[in-house]
Amino acid sequence: MEVLQDLSFINLITHASVLVQLVMGLLLLVSLMSWWYIFLKMFAIRAEKKLSEEFEELFWSQSDLGKLYQNGTVASGEAGCMARIFSAGFAEFAKQKRKPGADNIAVMESVRRAMRATYQREMDNLESHLSFLATVGSVSPYVGLFGTVWGIMNAFRGLSNVGQATLAHVAPGIAEALVATAMGLFAAIPAVVAYNRYAHDVTRLSSRFESFMEEFSNVLQRQS
Amino acid sequence: MSALAYSYSESYRLPAGALALGVHLMFFALLYFGVTWRTEPPQGMVVDIWQSLPEPQPAPVSIAPPPVEPPKPIEQLKPVEPPKADIELTEKNKPKIKPVEIRKPVEIKPVQPKQVEPVQVDQKALAQQAAQAEQARARAAQQAAAAAAITSEIGKYTGLIRAKIKRNIVMPADVQDSMQVEFDVTLLPGGSVLSARRTRSSGSTAYDEAVERAIMKAQPLPLPQDVSLFKYFRELHLTFTPKEE
Repeated sequence: MEVLQDLSFINLITHASVLVQLVMGLLLLVSLMSWWYIFLKMFAIRAEKKLSEEFEELFWSQSDLGKLYQNGTVASGEAGCMARIFSAGFAEFAKQKRKPGADNIAVMESVRRAMRATYQREMDNLESHLSFLATVGSVSPYVGLFGTVWGIMNAFRGLSNVGQATLAHVAPGIAEALVATAMGLFAAIPAVVAYNRYAHDVTRLSSRFESFMEEFSNVLQRQS
Repeated sequence: MSALAYSYSESYRLPAGALALGVHLMFFALLYFGVTWRTEPPQGMVVDIWQSLPEPQPAPVSIAPPPVEPPKPIEQLKPVEPPKADIELTEKNKPKIKPVEIRKPVEIKPVQPKQVEPVQVDQKALAQQAAQAEQARARAAQQAAAAAAITSEIGKYTGLIRAKIKRNIVMPADVQDSMQVEFDVTLLPGGSVLSARRTRSSGSTAYDEAVERAIMKAQPLPLPQDVSLFKYFRELHLTFTPKEE
């Protein structure tokens, strides 16, 4: 083992043992995916917030709900979750109204059920992949640690073959092994931060949808 | 409810993927260019500290014959200023240069009877005197050169001795630069130390002892090749101060 060691980053990775390299590869993949989801969710949630605000404004400024239902973006379902909840509720309301001798309370019940179903589906969509971020945040440090422990075990096993053990013999092996922990942390930290942030955002959106559903039910009840 | 309900995130897939890749590339670039861990063994280095620069070619020290009493020094000879040695030589060790006695110029007083003598004789005597004076001057110059060579040799080796001792001092904590410790060191031919006696303490026992240990550790001390010069080194009076010189 030469005394002069080139501990550049590339060397640390290429000299690591196969298992550590596998762990590092896995962590890289997981990190890439978690960042991808982080950006995906960031764009989606930001767009959803904007669309909901716009739709709420439109809803309260429009007196004729039928016209709103016919509106281009609302009808095509591109105006956000809130618009889709509204569409589902209004479509159900229109259907029930067409039936002769409809009970007012029964109509409102079925409208609520239709809206609730759409709401659940939309929430499921918004919350998708958040569990992946949570998993990455909690598991990847352990995966990294596993790689590090394995690497250090190898470093010490190599040390037993050397008569006189110095720090220079162990240090490169430990440095290689620690890269795995570093990568695990690099994957975990943004994932945890993003998960907390997005979970909070989604909760706020859901409470907003629920209050809209209540208000819309009231409006429909008045019209019936 | 429509199929479009789940497609809203489709349009973001590509930019999100590109951004994720960008983040990773940035991270690895940072690691690659920012972190270059290299271990380079420190180059060992030995430094000799010389008190005085040695002459490019040390002149062979020729011991001058014991000074002969110059017949009649006429001129005032410039006293040979021995180069300031860092070491104070004890009184009895003072090199023989000093003994080059420089007499006060003596006015040549024509002796009384000479006055009576004829002028030719007087001139002859004057010429003889002038020749003698010339001879004396030459001898004095030779002596001065030899003395200068000796003093430079002494200065060089005392500097070497001091440097070697100073190199061996393991500096204790909290010493002030103003401290000064004096030692009388008796040497044996060959450079080993017979005894080192502290004549004046610096006030810090730790520093005194560090210097004493250094004197013992520095054996053998460097001595000139010329054995005849050893007499100047038999007893040395050395002064040390923690100040870097």
